[in-house]
Amino acid sequence: MNGLQTLPAWAEILVAILVVLGSGLALIGSIGLVRFRSFYERVHAPTLGSTLGTASILLASIAFFSLTRTRPFVHELLIGLFVTVTTPVTLLMLVQATIYRDRLEGRDPLARREDES
Amino acid sequence: MPDDALFLISIIALPFLGSFIAALLPTNARNAEAWLAGLVSVGVVAIAISFRPVLAAGNVVRAEYAWLPEFGLNFILRLDGLAWSFVVLIGGIGFLVVLYARYYMSPADPAPRFFAFLLAFMGAMLGIVVSGNLIQLVVFWELTSIFSFLLISYWNHNQTARDGARVALTVTAAGGLCLLAAMLLLGRIVGSFDLETVLTSGPRIVSHPLYLTMLILFALGVLTKSAQFPFHFWLPRAMVAPTPVSAYLHSATMVKAGVFLLARFWPAMAGHEYWFWIFAPIGVATLLIGAFMALFQQDLKGLLAYSTISHLGLITLLLGLGSPLAAVAAIFHIMNHATFKASLFMAAGIIDHEAGTRDVRRLGGLYRAMPITALLATVAAAAMAGVPLLNGFLSKEMFFAETIESHVDTVLDKALPYIATIAGVFSVAYSLRLIHQVFFGPPAKDLPRQPHDPVLWMLLPVALLVLICLLVGILPGPTIGNFLAMAVHATLGPQTPTYSLAVWHGFTPALFMSGVAMIGGVALYFALQRYLSGDVEGVPILGALKGKRLFERALVFLSWRWARELEQNAGTTRLQPQMRLLVCVTIAAALWSLFSRPGSLDFTWPSSADPAFVLVWLVGGICAVAAAYQAKYHRLVSLILTGGAGLATCITFAWLSAPDLALTQLLVEIVTTVLILLGLRWLPKRIEGLDPDMTPKARLRRVRDLLIAVAGGAGLAALSYTVLTWPIGNSIASNFLERAYTEGGGRNVVNVILVDFRGFDTFGEIAVLAIASITVFSLLRRFRPARDSIELPAQKSFQNRFDADRYTGGKDPLSAHYMIVPGLIMRLLFPVIAMTAAFLFMRGHDLPGGGFVAGLTLAIAFILQYMAGGTRWAEARLRVLPARWMGFGLLAAAATGAGAWFFGRPFLTSAFAYADIPILGKVPMASALFFDLGVFSVVVGATVLILIALAHQALRVQRVSSDAAAAPPTEGSR
Repeated sequence: MNGLQTLPAWAEILVAILVVLGSGLALIGSIGLVRFRSFYERVHAPTLGSTLGTASILLASIAFFSLTRTRPFVHELLIGLFVTVTTPVTLLMLVQATIYRDRLEGRDPLARREDES
Repeated sequence: MPDDALFLISIIALPFLGSFIAALLPTNARNAEAWLAGLVSVGVVAIAISFRPVLAAGNVVRAEYAWLPEFGLNFILRLDGLAWSFVVLIGGIGFLVVLYARYYMSPADPAPRFFAFLLAFMGAMLGIVVSGNLIQLVVFWELTSIFSFLLISYWNHNQTARDGARVALTVTAAGGLCLLAAMLLLGRIVGSFDLETVLTSGPRIVSHPLYLTMLILFALGVLTKSAQFPFHFWLPRAMVAPTPVSAYLHSATMVKAGVFLLARFWPAMAGHEYWFWIFAPIGVATLLIGAFMALFQQDLKGLLAYSTISHLGLITLLLGLGSPLAAVAAIFHIMNHATFKASLFMAAGIIDHEAGTRDVRRLGGLYRAMPITALLATVAAAAMAGVPLLNGFLSKEMFFAETIESHVDTVLDKALPYIATIAGVFSVAYSLRLIHQVFFGPPAKDLPRQPHDPVLWMLLPVALLVLICLLVGILPGPTIGNFLAMAVHATLGPQTPTYSLAVWHGFTPALFMSGVAMIGGVALYFALQRYLSGDVEGVPILGALKGKRLFERALVFLSWRWARELEQNAGTTRLQPQMRLLVCVTIAAALWSLFSRPGSLDFTWPSSADPAFVLVWLVGGICAVAAAYQAKYHRLVSLILTGGAGLATCITFAWLSAPDLALTQLLVEIVTTVLILLGLRWLPKRIEGLDPDMTPKARLRRVRDLLIAVAGGAGLAALSYTVLTWPIGNSIASNFLERAYTEGGGRNVVNVILVDFRGFDTFGEIAVLAIASITVFSLLRRFRPARDSIELPAQKSFQNRFDADRYTGGKDPLSAHYMIVPGLIMRLLFPVIAMTAAFLFMRGHDLPGGGFVAGLTLAIAFILQYMAGGTRWAEARLRVLPARWMGFGLLAAAATGAGAWFFGRPFLTSAFAYADIPILGKVPMASALFFDLGVFSVVVGATVLILIALAHQALRVQRVSSDAAAAPPTEGSR
């Protein structure tokens, strides 16, 4: 990676923390996806990665490229915007589908959550 | 002589150019069309006349253009005396026909079509006569078949016109194929396709072992075109054409092409007994049968058609005799027949036009109503009958004289004078019948119209032709002598005999035969008059001889029954056997090439690998295998797993530094997954465990199929692995890398390869893409789903019922309820995605992106709109016309490619420059960008077309099911 040598130590530490934080959040989200039992719980877990996790990684990216190149780079804001706008669509659709399915199979989605947790 | 070459090419170019212009004129521009066509024909004749002095001196005008020099084929134009006389005939009679047609065609007939076809036909015919190359000649020959088809079927609302045209096309075009074979053989025998060389190598051709084969094929071509027995049946059926067409095609042009070719190749091929034995008997048979059948026709044009057949038989016989003097008579008769038959056809057209019928029995006494027409037709018919002082008499007398001479000492040869006289008798009889029954006798009463002479301009062409008949008949020497000498000399060369063109040769046997024919004909007619005026349809004795019936039977067998049987025995409509066959053939081909060159498949296993990369591949592989495993019963799962495998591929590309491919792969994955998802609903249901007690045979079949599948898949994997691990060495890739910027003007090598270096491949690919999507669209239009997938799936109908119960006030539960937020976001994202597409497109030449990726991106934007609001919502707001996108794309790509021609470069040569645009700064502008725009447009169109096809499938089926079930009112709101 070119420009890595020119990065000051504090910046290196900052970027590293942000990257580790972001990927850590994503990992926790993934573990949650596996560990949680009911669907309604599961849909929450990955949002950890798609919100705070993404934000950290993007911040790391902004910091890294703005410091190694000569001018500020803010393309990542667009990524953040689009991820924020589009992720809820998936979530909404999935949950709607599950609610209908529960109704079809004669289960009350709310009651079910209380049963299982 | 560049001027000569220019004039020579104009002979062919003028009519085709005129045809093109004529096609573009407005529908009712009859006068403009006639002027154009008339000027073109006059121009052709004028050019021909300007060449006369050169040709009269015995020279040949030649022009040669490189066509396919690698194959020894050049576009050669060659004008000699024979070709010259045909050019004058075609152009001159063409002019008269145009003049006649201007007044004959009704204002309701579309004029551009008529004149465009007529001029194109004229061009094709002129192309035949001035061709100096055998293959080129066949090309024009087939063009005449096609344009005559279009002309005969001009009144295409008429079933008989279409049938007649189809028969004519089938017969003459099939003959044309035989002619092509003959010309290829001839070229092989001679060693050149140049007509000049062929004409001078007669002895070599005749002594060649392939001579007979070639001659038979040649005969098939020539005899079908000239409507010789037994192929004559197409000509009477072609009489459904407008009369100007009949007058042109069946006097001076179409049918004369056959005998022209006979005359043309006479010096090269006639020097053998076979020539006589093929053409003389057929000529005799056609002469007799045509004359006999003509006498019994009740339709004026039918009579003329059969008399044409008979006269062509006469010409074929004369050429078939193989003696130079007979060839002279044949050429002379070709000219004479063209003049009197054209005028007779026109006269018949006038009668039809003015009296409203062509039935000989209904007509009568017309000389009172139309005296000028009567006079002209009488003279022309007399020429046809061979009355002295008319041109027909001269050539007929030459014919009679020639039949008396002995050629090949056989029974046929001895019988010829008698046969000729009998044919003459019939010829006189039908000519007399034509005149007597139409113009004389008691006046007809119940005619559809009140007949009278037509306008002067319509009579003028007839009058001119009749004048020529008279002049040639009375003063043959000064009028036609020079022209005939020129044509004969050009045909026969040193073999040219001495002949005399006088009207009076003294009391010769030929004159005696003429006399017998004349008296016999008159007697025959008056003997048969009562019978002919009666209610007779068809021809006695020969009526059973129905070439047409045989032809149709043959067609039914060839194109229906045999084709059907072949399809039933060798084909299958089931997908499984087709797939099995395909895969087996592929495996066999691969194995064959492997074992024919052994040792070419050696594996080199990678020495080290990144564990993360291996993990990605492991996941991808598992996804792929699992997808195959689930494909039968769990299609949705299988589709999701396929997407997983696709993502693994995508990551691989990105990993190996191919961002372009990664981007493309990603977008392709998205689009295909969505489209398949939409289509999934229409697949029939599979019920697991339906067949518990499978027979051993079925089990065995499954095992076999599994083996085939594994062999195919593993083989393909091995093959691609070998290719991928192949030592790179000196490949073309480095060449591309070096030249991408210097010659293509782009830094993105992949894109430069696609739109520039391999632009022609891409052009083909986008064409295939367009075709494929249109195929999908048409297949889905006809698609009727299985009964059990017509109804909505249980989940969906439950959902609808639930929504209807709960949101009774809502108009549309879909957009009113759970899609509100996602739908809004999808809608708002449309411009953003479109902008991304534009961005990807613009930067494609230097960075990852390009037309294909941009097209897919925009297509995704459209797909999202369909998903967000449903088909009706999306189409009410956003009309995409995919066919136009695709059409524009293909045209843009082709136009960009063709643009290079204007700079003298080969097709698809790219040019590039930098343009200074305000704000954006320097933007690379390569001409390849427009090509890429075409790619973009085609991709958008193709993808959206498939989307629309799938979306409308859902709409259509809903309509059908709601109609059938008389759906409850809640359902209707969907």
